[in-house]
Amino acid sequence: MYGDTGMKLVQHAKRTQSLAHLPPYQTELVRAVTREVRDLDKDVSELLEPFQGSFDPSADQAVATTLLVNHLSMRRNKRCLLAYHRTRTEKLEELVWNGADVVDLSGQQVRADGATTTSSLSPQEEEYVRQYSDLLAAYKGQWTDIDLTGSLEPPRDLFIDVRVLKDAGEIQTEYGAITLTKNSQFYVRQGDVERLIAQGYLQKLSG
Amino acid sequence: MDIDDILRSVDPSTGGIPRETTDLQILTRLWVAERSAPELLAWPSDGVFERVNNRIKAQIEKVEDMTGDMDPTTNFALIVIQTELERFKFLVRSYLRARIAKIDRHTLHYLSSSELRSRLAPTELAYATRHQALLHNHYLSSFLNAFPPQLQNLNDTAGGVSMIDAPDLDTAVFVRMLTDKEVSGRGSDRDNSLNAAEGDVLIMRWESARDMVTQGEAELV
Repeated sequence: MYGDTGMKLVQHAKRTQSLAHLPPYQTELVRAVTREVRDLDKDVSELLEPFQGSFDPSADQAVATTLLVNHLSMRRNKRCLLAYHRTRTEKLEELVWNGADVVDLSGQQVRADGATTTSSLSPQEEEYVRQYSDLLAAYKGQWTDIDLTGSLEPPRDLFIDVRVLKDAGEIQTEYGAITLTKNSQFYVRQGDVERLIAQGYLQKLSG
Repeated sequence: MDIDDILRSVDPSTGGIPRETTDLQILTRLWVAERSAPELLAWPSDGVFERVNNRIKAQIEKVEDMTGDMDPTTNFALIVIQTELERFKFLVRSYLRARIAKIDRHTLHYLSSSELRSRLAPTELAYATRHQALLHNHYLSSFLNAFPPQLQNLNDTAGGVSMIDAPDLDTAVFVRMLTDKEVSGRGSDRDNSLNAAEGDVLIMRWESARDMVTQGEAELV
């Protein structure tokens, strides 16, 4: 009671920040915190009921204190929930910027009990990712020549050495087509292969 | 070419420097400033991005034209142009991303007043509004819906604490003076002021440096 479960959520959020992947959504905890807020709110209205809107805090200090504690706990729980969800959405947005789509993300599955697998995203989060991808695509569409999701490292060389980590098939460059087979090495234009590096097909070799 | 361009062509202060070079300077300066300032700076209103964008488009076309040519000399020129193009793209991309990151961090703050709104480009404004709506919807469907109605807001200021987070204007920044000027800065123990000469580099709170930067008396480094 009074914020214990909220605290657990914040700890989850804190842990999420330092993880590379997104841990499963804590449906139970979120529900418990929300229930706590509703119970507290009910307590508040029950406490206030006998006064019929003419409550005088200085006349009845015990009730006033209870009300204050309840109010603060509700607000605190709300903050905990907001923080938890914001941390997760930030993580999701980062993944979207890096080129993941909703199928990849919900495919990022966690083994629950051997045979069955569950997505680590809540249905609402999946919906959010879908809409955010659309939003980002719309914003990027205004800057087609720049490729907003491209590398944020300042370009040093036009051409780079890359090693192929996974078979990626044939790609077209302005110098003709190259077939990317595993373990081969190429000297290519950085702009042509940036996406493949981000997706993990190629590895950039530092010269 | 409009009247401004004609005037500028006879103005000795800009004479001799082509528009392309000044645009690159403007862009680089904007980029440096945006990356070091703790809060979002105003979107440039003089159309520098439209010009840069058109130039990038033109260069891309030029590259495509030249690719067919197998002559070694054009090949060399091609590499120079492509390298320059990549650098330009990087500048614009990094600048836009820095702005988006700031907007995402304090969306409600930048949407809260018309003065702050005017700093955003129209496309950024659309993005911020939509993003905030998405987030709010997500919160609503995840848990806020089950809350008592008086607790469903995201912008309460009850109890003297605003729910809207704002950037920290007291962050320290480095500025280079562009004019001789007496500079005064607020300190945590006491305030200080000194005579700074052109070219001096100072470290001070953004709050104190902001006016000088917006008026062009100093630049961020």
